[in-house]
Amino acid sequence: MVILVEIDLYYYIFWILNYFFLLYGLCLIALYFFAIILSTRSVNRNKRKARFLQVNDIVSATDIPSITLIAPAFNESKTIVENVKSLLALQYPYYELIIVNDGSTDNTLQLLIDKYDLESFDSTFITQPIPTSTVNKIYRSRKLQFKQLTVIDKNNGGKSDANNAGINFAATELVLCTDADCIIEQDALLKMVRPYLEEFNQEIVACGAAIGIINDSIVKNGVVEKLRLPDSLIPMIQVVEYIRAFLLGRMAWSEINGVMLVSGAFGLYARNRVIEVNGFNIHTVGEDLELGIRLRKHMEEIKVPHKMVYLPETLCWTEAPNNIDVLIKQRDRWARGLWETMTLHKDLFFNRKYRDMGLFYYPYWMVFELGAPIVEFLGLLSLIVFTMLGLINWNVAILLFTSIYLLGCIFSTISIFIYVKNFKHYNTGKEVIELLLAAYLEPFLYHPILVLGQIQGYYKKIFGVKSGWGNMDRKGFKTLPKERL
Amino acid sequence: MRKALVIQEDIIILKIIERLVILNQYECRAIRSINDLDIEDQSANFDVIISDILFEGIAPLDFVFQIQEIILHKSLIIVTNMGQNKIEKEILASQNVRGFFPIPLDMDNIQKLIA
Amino acid sequence: MKAEILILLIKILLLVLVIVFGSIAYSMIYRRWRTKRLQLIESTFAKICSLYLYPAPNEESNLIEIQRELKAVGIVPSKPRNVQYLIDLMIRTQRSILGNNYTKLKKLFTQIPPYGASASKLTSSKWYIKARGIREIYEMDQSQYTRDLIKLRNDDNIYVRREAQIGIVIFLGWKSLRFLPYLKRQMTLWQQIKIVEKLNDLYPIPDLNHLRRAYNSDRPYANELIMRIIRKFHLTEDIAYIIQFIDNPKFEIREAAIYCISSFSLSAEQLREIKEKFYHISNTEQQLMLLKYIQRISMDIDLPFYKDLLYNGSDIIKLSTADILWNNGYKEEVQEYYYHQYTQKADSESISV
Repeated sequence: MVILVEIDLYYYIFWILNYFFLLYGLCLIALYFFAIILSTRSVNRNKRKARFLQVNDIVSATDIPSITLIAPAFNESKTIVENVKSLLALQYPYYELIIVNDGSTDNTLQLLIDKYDLESFDSTFITQPIPTSTVNKIYRSRKLQFKQLTVIDKNNGGKSDANNAGINFAATELVLCTDADCIIEQDALLKMVRPYLEEFNQEIVACGAAIGIINDSIVKNGVVEKLRLPDSLIPMIQVVEYIRAFLLGRMAWSEINGVMLVSGAFGLYARNRVIEVNGFNIHTVGEDLELGIRLRKHMEEIKVPHKMVYLPETLCWTEAPNNIDVLIKQRDRWARGLWETMTLHKDLFFNRKYRDMGLFYYPYWMVFELGAPIVEFLGLLSLIVFTMLGLINWNVAILLFTSIYLLGCIFSTISIFIYVKNFKHYNTGKEVIELLLAAYLEPFLYHPILVLGQIQGYYKKIFGVKSGWGNMDRKGFKTLPKERL
Repeated sequence: MRKALVIQEDIIILKIIERLVILNQYECRAIRSINDLDIEDQSANFDVIISDILFEGIAPLDFVFQIQEIILHKSLIIVTNMGQNKIEKEILASQNVRGFFPIPLDMDNIQKLIA
Repeated sequence: MKAEILILLIKILLLVLVIVFGSIAYSMIYRRWRTKRLQLIESTFAKICSLYLYPAPNEESNLIEIQRELKAVGIVPSKPRNVQYLIDLMIRTQRSILGNNYTKLKKLFTQIPPYGASASKLTSSKWYIKARGIREIYEMDQSQYTRDLIKLRNDDNIYVRREAQIGIVIFLGWKSLRFLPYLKRQMTLWQQIKIVEKLNDLYPIPDLNHLRRAYNSDRPYANELIMRIIRKFHLTEDIAYIIQFIDNPKFEIREAAIYCISSFSLSAEQLREIKEKFYHISNTEQQLMLLKYIQRISMDIDLPFYKDLLYNGSDIIKLSTADILWNNGYKEEVQEYYYHQYTQKADSESISV
């Protein structure tokens, strides 16, 4: 009798979980379908809009907002001189560059002083609307050709703290936060400023663009000379992952003004608004998402119609983790950042005061971004347990798995199609085939690693295991011999 | 024959300036990017260079300074889309430039300088 | 049954996948072909323009030969996308050239196809075609369509009305200020920038009558636009218009006012007015900007004003004021303030103890 009751209970749990996973999966598929439609619309609309405000119009215009690019640098002596040269070359008429030396223990600062002929000036009374670690000195170049460069030397406080120091010191309307080791497209600023020029009834608080992966590409004078797909599988799959996240995630959300995250590696913000919310939060590793949410919350609270937008173009290139260990560390950190941010702003959950953000966007992030690894992990556990209990009909399970796998392949293939159709980066048959293969291998070879990293991150948060940013050993892209021009 | 180097990304502007230069009795090398420069260009002594300042991998002002060192020439004329007063002041302050023309431009002004 | 449904689903999904593969292949092949075609049209057009503007001595341009060359690269009525590309190239060229060459090119473009293509776009139901038509009309200087543009100045679509408004400025110049400050909808920053630029490029002598009549508009975008015009044309006699907005309750208007006033030097009376308004600005960052401006244009340090800020301003303003005083030879005042702060703090601590 007891055994029968136990079996009934297992069946009961089995069916409840089955329906839960089915419902969750169906919601996710429906969201992806919506995302494809929205993303296509968004890309087309942006292309049409761009015809009426071309880069050449902006580059010759006066009265456009001035921009400061802020790049924190910590122990980057190997690459800092070249990276600064590349950042100085960005095309924008009203442009300043601030490098924040975040307490480097190597000779990063000295290299900058020597190469760019920097001199320090009095920083006794620097105004710091956002509190940061101590700023030691401010440097500027004696050379006319580097006059838009400022270097802030401060005590180590982390990336967010360094960004805040840069934001404090900037005197422009817009600030672009990036990493010193990112390769930025030369006309990126001209494109990023477009939404600020064109919006008329909503204030643009932040603008992002797609970030591409540059492992094994050829870089010359800080410019991507020849974009290549990475040689190894892990970064190659990340190329597909970034394309899909950008098209089916960011672009789709941008179309319905639902963007809450502008990547910390490349985000343009209205400086005054960032100062109003006290800058980046230095206590979380998910500082970009946290700032995005805080900015939107602030705008809702002061009742100013606003927008966070994404541009349908890859304007920034970065190196992706090249091996499993680094990838797990990165995803562990992202998961912790997400957890921290979601916890910090839990008051948003179905909070009508914050309108769409409280009712839809935040709950989406909670259920489908924060929740996805947990659901996947539970699914895996259930599969093992119910297999042991002999409750699984393998014929149906395999067919179901194949259907879901194919559906995933379709979403990835459509993303690649939209990307190839609209952007010029990967345009040879070989490259597209490689991308497709990477996309089809992803669920078996890559996705389990991601889930592992994410679950590890959540575990650390739940059980209070201390962990920081972790280091990423960069393999580097191929750099052509330096030329003077 | 006098020698001129024209560097403009916009092929229409490039071709028009090239014709103007040729009709003013110059031997003209017209290229669209500084990446198209070769070793021979570096040793040729140009009478005039008519160039943009917007190039990949080099800041506008840095370009004006560096081209002095890389390519021998007598005078440098800038024709660029990024022609705001602020940029013009900075470029002219370098004292390396004979003329600065923001686009749109009247080609007659260039003709006066190269005639 | 379940298995059969799933097998059917798998077949459908495979079919969809194959269709997407096909689409990728087609789009790649098409793009490659199209890029080559566009490059060919562009280089042919560049050659035509350069030879037309600067023909060899004793040689006349042959229009029939030009038309033949364009036809050879695909500029024929049956290929509207090629024709559209040619129009875009014409606009690009017109916008890059001034002087005699502009007039010559304008003549050339009226003599080669397409003829009257832009005006027909104004009746399109698609916003991007309509807006493109307007742009072509004003870039190609077809002022006979000014009335059509005036009608479109309040269009529902932002791009259509924006292009129409720019067109009105190009054709009517300062007279366009009869309409522009009284539009139904808000203007974007880009619209304002373009209007000011076009006035400056095409009508460099300001018509103060039309401008001053526009001062009556109470629309926020119009206030910003007028301030930008005053700045661009450096109308020192109209600075008062900008000054009145320095402490406006709206953030954007204050921002534009502070930005525009920064181009001017002020009289003692105007400076005094600005200093009074300084206290009514609610945003510290804007106060900071204004403070830097006041310091930049002042001949002497107004000690009472700065000391008041040093003792009564927000922390950020205090720090900036201290910076100004310190670097202008008033170190003692700054030291005195900090000493005062220190003793006050010490006193309050002793009281609390």
